[in-house]
Parts: sequence; C-alpha cells; structure tokens
Amino acid sequence: MYSLNVEGICKHYQRTMLFENISFSLAQGDVLAITGWNGSGKSTLVRIIAGLVRPSAGRVQMMVDEKVVPKERRRRFLGLVAPALCLYEELTGLENLEFFCKLRGVACDRSGCLDWMNQVGLNGQADKQCRDYSSGMKQRLKLVQAIIHNPPLLLLDEPCSNLDSNGMKIVERIVSAQQEKGMTIIASNEKREVDYASRIINLSE
Amino acid sequence: MRDLKGEFRTRYAVNAILMFAFTTLIAVSFSIGSYRIVEAQKPFLNAVLLWIILVFSALSGLSRSFVREEESGTMDILKLSARPQAVFLGKLFFNLTLLGALEIIIVPSFVLLMGYEIKLPVCFWAMIISAGLGLGAGTTLVAAMIAQASARGALFSALSFPLLLPLMITAIKGCERAALGLDAAGWPEVRIAVAYVVIMMVMSIFLFPLIWEE
Repeated sequence: MYSLNVEGICKHYQRTMLFENISFSLAQGDVLAITGWNGSGKSTLVRIIAGLVRPSAGRVQMMVDEKVVPKERRRRFLGLVAPALCLYEELTGLENLEFFCKLRGVACDRSGCLDWMNQVGLNGQADKQCRDYSSGMKQRLKLVQAIIHNPPLLLLDEPCSNLDSNGMKIVERIVSAQQEKGMTIIASNEKREVDYASRIINLSE
Repeated sequence: MRDLKGEFRTRYAVNAILMFAFTTLIAVSFSIGSYRIVEAQKPFLNAVLLWIILVFSALSGLSRSFVREEESGTMDILKLSARPQAVFLGKLFFNLTLLGALEIIIVPSFVLLMGYEIKLPVCFWAMIISAGLGLGAGTTLVAAMIAQASARGALFSALSFPLLLPLMITAIKGCERAALGLDAAGWPEVRIAVAYVVIMMVMSIFLFPLIWEE
C-alpha cells in the first residue's frame, strides 16, 4: 500500500511568497487536482513533491507499507509529465524510451517499448528523432516515459497540453488505470483535467 | 552510450575540442616549429606546449557533457530516472572517450610536427594516458558543478585550472623525463598521476550526489 503525506509546504523566492502551509495526504486510488492562477505555484508544488525543488519549509513523505521512503529513493517511485520536462531531441522516440527503461532498471525490450508507443498512438514514429516530433507527439512520449516503470505516484502537470481529442482520451485512460494501482496529482486549470480528480487544492485561495 | 550517440549525431563537443586543438597545434608548429627551440630545451618545452594544447582543448569542450543537459532541459528527466553515481560514471566515460580520441589524434601529430624525440615511448604514453584519466575525472566533476551557473564558460576554466594545475605540472615533468630517457625507478610522475586519478574518482563518487541534488 502506498501513501503520500505533504505537511506544511511553503515556498518563497527571496521576499516573494509563492504559497504557504500546503498540507494534504493521499492514499492509493486518490486523484488530486492542484489549481490556481498563473504564477500561483502549481508547477513548483509538483516539482517539490517530485523532489526536484527544495521547499522553503515543510516536508513531503512517501510511504510504502507504512514505511517512509528515503528522499533520495522517492524519485524512483514517481512518474512526472510537465511542460518543462524535455526529451532527448537527438535521439529517436524509441531510443528515448529504451534509455529511460535502462536507467530505471525496467525490463522492457525493443518490442515492449514499441508496444508502449503504439498504446499512445505513436505507431510508425519510433525511428524518428524527437526533434522531428510535433509538440503533441512529444507529449504522448512524455506520458509513456512517466508510466513505463509503473510508478505508485503519477504527477501530471498540464497533461493534456498540445494533445488532440484522441490524446486527451489517452490521458483519461492513464489516469483511470493509475487509480487502480496508485496515486495521481494533476496540476491544471483545464476543467476536463480537473474533473478526473476527486479532491481539489486551489493555490489562489 | 546515450551521450556518445547524441554526440555522434550533433558533434558539438568533438568539433569544439578538435578545432581548438588543431588551431593551436598548427599555430605552435608554424610559429615555433622544431628549429626555433634550443636542442637542450626541447624535451621540456615540447612537453609544456603539448600539455597546454591538450588541457586547453579539453577545457573548451568537456563541460558540454553536463551543460548540454541543462541547456536542452533534460536535467530534470535525468534526475528523475537515474542514480547520481550512474550519471557521473556515464558522463565520465563520455569525457574519457573524447579525451582518448583527442590524445590519439593530437599527440602523434604534435610529435611529428614538432620533431619531438622520445627516448622512453612506453613511459611517455603511460604519462599521457594516466594524466588524461586525471584530466577527465577532474573536468567531469567541475562540469557538474558549473552546469547550472549563468557564466558557465568562464567558471569552468576558473574552477578547473587550480584543480588541474598539479596534474599538469606532473604530466609535463613526466613527459620531459620520458623524452630525456631518464628511467627513474617506478616512473614517479605516472604514479602521482594515477594517485590523482584515484583521489579524484573517490572524491567525485562521494561529492557528486550532493552536487546533483542541488
């Protein structure tokens, strides 16, 4: 069983307070939406939970079977999709996936990676360099790299950006599959994305 | 291997390093050549010139391994996917491969163009290889430190220089000794360079996770 505890998170840059005292808990199956105006700190909060940014105060704890996962190992338990996250442009889509599988120790061979790419509608695009992908295709590949290692916590920052209606259905499918095996946090202001969530935190309030 | 594949397709670091190395080598060989140096000073001056070319060529391109991750926005995805030690060893392997290619091309060219006579070639190459390993280990750690800074280029050279100076002095001394054919017991400079490599590697393995998490 997985759970996530976020306690009293606060972030400020020099004298500018971005947000303060953000606390919530998630259990397996929960989907949380983080909303707020532009610049309210949605993406920063997601990056703090991912361990990519240090909070000014507070702590994030992930638990597996009620045991706390050490901070340095937390990243292995999560998948992140965010606009600021970039793929290796000089590699093909397939090479990107194979590389991430290797790094994460996922036993996924070429055919396995191709199967993942087909699932997000990237059929026939595997051997194209990522620099030749459209922004929607890159977003689909980002979705695959976030879920390919089956993470208990899925962080989705504007997951439907640049996606067409088929792509949005893929996101919906990913979120509902994740509900059965772990937790999901979605940072967005899009109604369609927020509707996936059972709970909402508004950073502008 | 990912770095090598990317480099093979973009050739950014290779081009920077080889262009710098060839330009300085040609400039040195035309302006000084083999006849303008007094015979007695040849072993020392050739060693100095060779290591100036190697070190500054390396400094012109080896920071790319980490800087490219920062500039292309892939640093976060790498942090999320890989263990720090795996990242460091991967970047080190990439930098050592580049340095190896640089040494294989530049050292024989330098020897040929400058008429560099070496009486103990095995000792000479042992010095080149061991100091090359030290150069790779030192610059990889500094590259990781400066990757997120704004004035990366200047900072890389400024931070690398004091770290590499003892190695450079040792390498010059070792190459001079090999050229003169002074077979001092156990090649002391090679041993110092190997010790430098071991110290840098151990230090990097412990320090890199801290740099990587910041």
